[in-house]
Amino acid sequence: MNRYLSTCGVVLLLLLGCRSETQPVDNVRIRWPRDPETLHPHTLANALAIQAINLTYQSLLAIDAPNQRIVPWLAEALPVVRQAGNTSYLTYHIRPAATWDDGQPITAQDILFTLKTMRCPNLPNERMRATYGFVRSVQLDSADARHFTLVCDQFAPDYVLTSGDFAVLPEHLLDPKHQLRAFSLKGLDSADAKSPVVAAFVGRFSQARLEQSPGKYGSGPYRLKSWQSGQRLVFARKKPWWGDKIVPTPAPLLARPPQISFHIIPDQNTAFLALRRGDIDVYSSLPAPYYQQLASSATDQKQIALFAPDSYEAVTVGFNTKKPVLADRLTRQAISHLFDIPTLIKATQQGLAYQSASLISPHDKHYYNDSLAPVAFSPARAVKLLQQAGWQQQPDKSWKRPHRTGQALSLALTISYRAGDAAYEFSALQLRTEAGKLGIPINLRPTESSILTQQLQAGEFDLYLRSLIGNPFAHNFLPLLHSGSTGVNGGNYTGFGNASTDALLTELAAAQDTVQKKQLLRRLQRVLQQESPLTVLYFKRNPLAISRRFTDLGLSGLPPGYEATRFLVQQQP
Amino acid sequence: MLRQILTSTLSAWIIASIIFLLSRSMSPANGESLGLDEHMPGTTVLTPAQQQAARQQLQSRLGLHQPLFYFSLSAPTSRAGMFLPRLIWHGQANQYHAWAEDLLQGQMGISYRNGVPVADLLATALPRTLLFTVPAALAAAALALLLAIRLAARPWWRPVVLHLLVLLDSIPLFLLALLLLLVLANPDVLTWFPAYGMGDAEGLAGWDWLLNTAYYLMLPMLSLVLVTLPGLTVQLEAALQRELTMDYVTTARAKGLSIRQIIRQHTLRNAIFPLLTLLADLLPAVLAGAVVVEVIFALPGMGRLLSDAATARDYPVLLGALLVILVARLVSYILADAAYRIADPRLQQSTT
Repeated sequence: MNRYLSTCGVVLLLLLGCRSETQPVDNVRIRWPRDPETLHPHTLANALAIQAINLTYQSLLAIDAPNQRIVPWLAEALPVVRQAGNTSYLTYHIRPAATWDDGQPITAQDILFTLKTMRCPNLPNERMRATYGFVRSVQLDSADARHFTLVCDQFAPDYVLTSGDFAVLPEHLLDPKHQLRAFSLKGLDSADAKSPVVAAFVGRFSQARLEQSPGKYGSGPYRLKSWQSGQRLVFARKKPWWGDKIVPTPAPLLARPPQISFHIIPDQNTAFLALRRGDIDVYSSLPAPYYQQLASSATDQKQIALFAPDSYEAVTVGFNTKKPVLADRLTRQAISHLFDIPTLIKATQQGLAYQSASLISPHDKHYYNDSLAPVAFSPARAVKLLQQAGWQQQPDKSWKRPHRTGQALSLALTISYRAGDAAYEFSALQLRTEAGKLGIPINLRPTESSILTQQLQAGEFDLYLRSLIGNPFAHNFLPLLHSGSTGVNGGNYTGFGNASTDALLTELAAAQDTVQKKQLLRRLQRVLQQESPLTVLYFKRNPLAISRRFTDLGLSGLPPGYEATRFLVQQQP
Repeated sequence: MLRQILTSTLSAWIIASIIFLLSRSMSPANGESLGLDEHMPGTTVLTPAQQQAARQQLQSRLGLHQPLFYFSLSAPTSRAGMFLPRLIWHGQANQYHAWAEDLLQGQMGISYRNGVPVADLLATALPRTLLFTVPAALAAAALALLLAIRLAARPWWRPVVLHLLVLLDSIPLFLLALLLLLVLANPDVLTWFPAYGMGDAEGLAGWDWLLNTAYYLMLPMLSLVLVTLPGLTVQLEAALQRELTMDYVTTARAKGLSIRQIIRQHTLRNAIFPLLTLLADLLPAVLAGAVVVEVIFALPGMGRLLSDAATARDYPVLLGALLVILVARLVSYILADAAYRIADPRLQQSTT
């Protein structure tokens, strides 16, 4: 019996070992760390979902990531902006060739309908409702069904991108009875979810199951072919597709691969093996040690090309300016000088990061304030700054200073960060070591992600470590640094801000002129370095591994760091 | 038996209620956990006022704006008793009532993340998990039985195998799974098996489907078998060794039975008792899946469903999955009791 079993086992192993799979060379296979959960264009659940949604749906405008500019997508050109009093008008014209899959033209009515679905109660559109509240109404052009004007609140520079950055939905398929036409855009904000018309529409709209990306509702070049939850999503190129008619094809309308599939592999080790085996073609946010391993392997280099484009992700240390110990800028500056940033970059990012003096990337030559120097590691400077701040070192090496309450303040700090992140852990340990040498006790507090956010919002911390993700199009720091953005609903965890800095931030958020924006941004960077509510440790790079089969990768600093729709199969010599 | 089922059902309900109340009261689902605060370059950053409005709308749509339970306690007013908290009655319009009502009608709610009914998510994840946990559990039990019987006969290789089993038992599951992956799915060593997933079984049927499934699930199953086998084998072998010192074994030997015959026909039935408890424990484990194995081999089963739901604070999914595991645990206790009674008629007589 046992012999029989062993023989069977060996035969099975041999049989299985002979299996091999072949994939068409022009299909692109991308590793994802998790399931996108939902592909509803109004939910925008996460960055992965957005990547998939951009294959099946289209918006009026797109981001040409490699060139870092906003470009027209469904629209023929960027909107024409006009301002009058406290109202702004953004006029668009949709490309004449743009059609839905059934050949129906994409019209201004579809834009109005989409905006209404984003304001309709009882649908999963909370983010969209909040974002697009600035659009008051849509003026249609009776002479041209593709021409329309968005009537908006007082102009803000963000409106250009935001006004054209939503997936357009077909009215004739999702609301064939035109039920929503009974409501104005503003009227939907106050519409009763229980009203029969709204309830009927919501019921019908929900039946479309946009969460599962049924395909026929998007005008994008790909259709979801299959979605094995937690395993893979396969998108197949539509043929014919309306964008094919436009010659020469502009970059946002390129859709070369016949099939793009996303393979969900949560574990990094497994994903790395899959990449080296050739089971996947693209691995973004590759862990730095793996990047170096591939870089030093001649065999792997033949199959896999490595890239490390800049990213807009900055790792920062934030200070709770509301705590008496950290209320003065000199103490905050002193603590910043205890981070040995070059060592951190080498140890945690294997060199795939770079220092910065501010929240603007130093590679953004236009807006970066190059007169500022990044914070240098200098315990001696830290000691001087502490003494200037009124701290006195005691015989037992601890630091104390008098406080207005009469009781002496002790310099002892806690640093909070997301648990399980090795880079944060290392940075916190380094600070504890260096601060310990000066007699400043640092307590480490690794915390679960959402609890950490709650603690930061409640101001229950001294120092924190976290990443900030920006983009080259928005320089609105109000949510991050304005004094009105503190507390439970804000992103200003440091509590930083006064009338002067608030005015600077407000002026910057409204600045349209590039020269003015540059001046304001340089000023802001100087103020931030002086006040040190948060210190940038480094900007990360985005290590990428992509199969050498492909060329024209559309590399950029914006996630995911590549443009899969552009991938072109390299001709074999 | 009926009394046992009723007690178990009541226990399950109480435990599920405690999990429901604790999970929701410790950290109410807010925008942060449901994507409203997620950093996504290219999307507009919401202002605090917009975030608050969005959060309120979201909570209202999901029914999270309602009170948690039938009543809540608040700090005592100055006029009232100094130490007694004030009780506020909310009536039936509360989250617990809505959840309990749905559950009694067989509805486990809808996922916060994607709007899919929890029952559908469980119905998709459970078969995928059972596909590799059931064969692994059966294989581990069968192998343990075979191995323990052979070891009980004290062959010369018994100490070596026992040491190996102890060594195997000391290796954590994640390490074992990674080792298998690095040896059997590594381009630098052997590429006998795939590194991840369940493959594309579309259009496959019968033998082809079976072969494809076995090919993809061999390493996950092997990981589970290797991690379960030592415990079962060592326990059973020890129980067999104990039984072999009994007087009835001496009698059997005196009658001329071989050691193998004694083990199979006499001692095994008595030695199986400790194993019944361990096997009963396998049932909830089989349903819950193995998070580690599912993550390492990129298998979408119950384990990952649970861990993802916990990370995202998707309470309906979390509670639904926990409820299934809870029921399985209680059923396993009932089955273990029944198995004990069958294996040992004395227990049956003592309860009747």
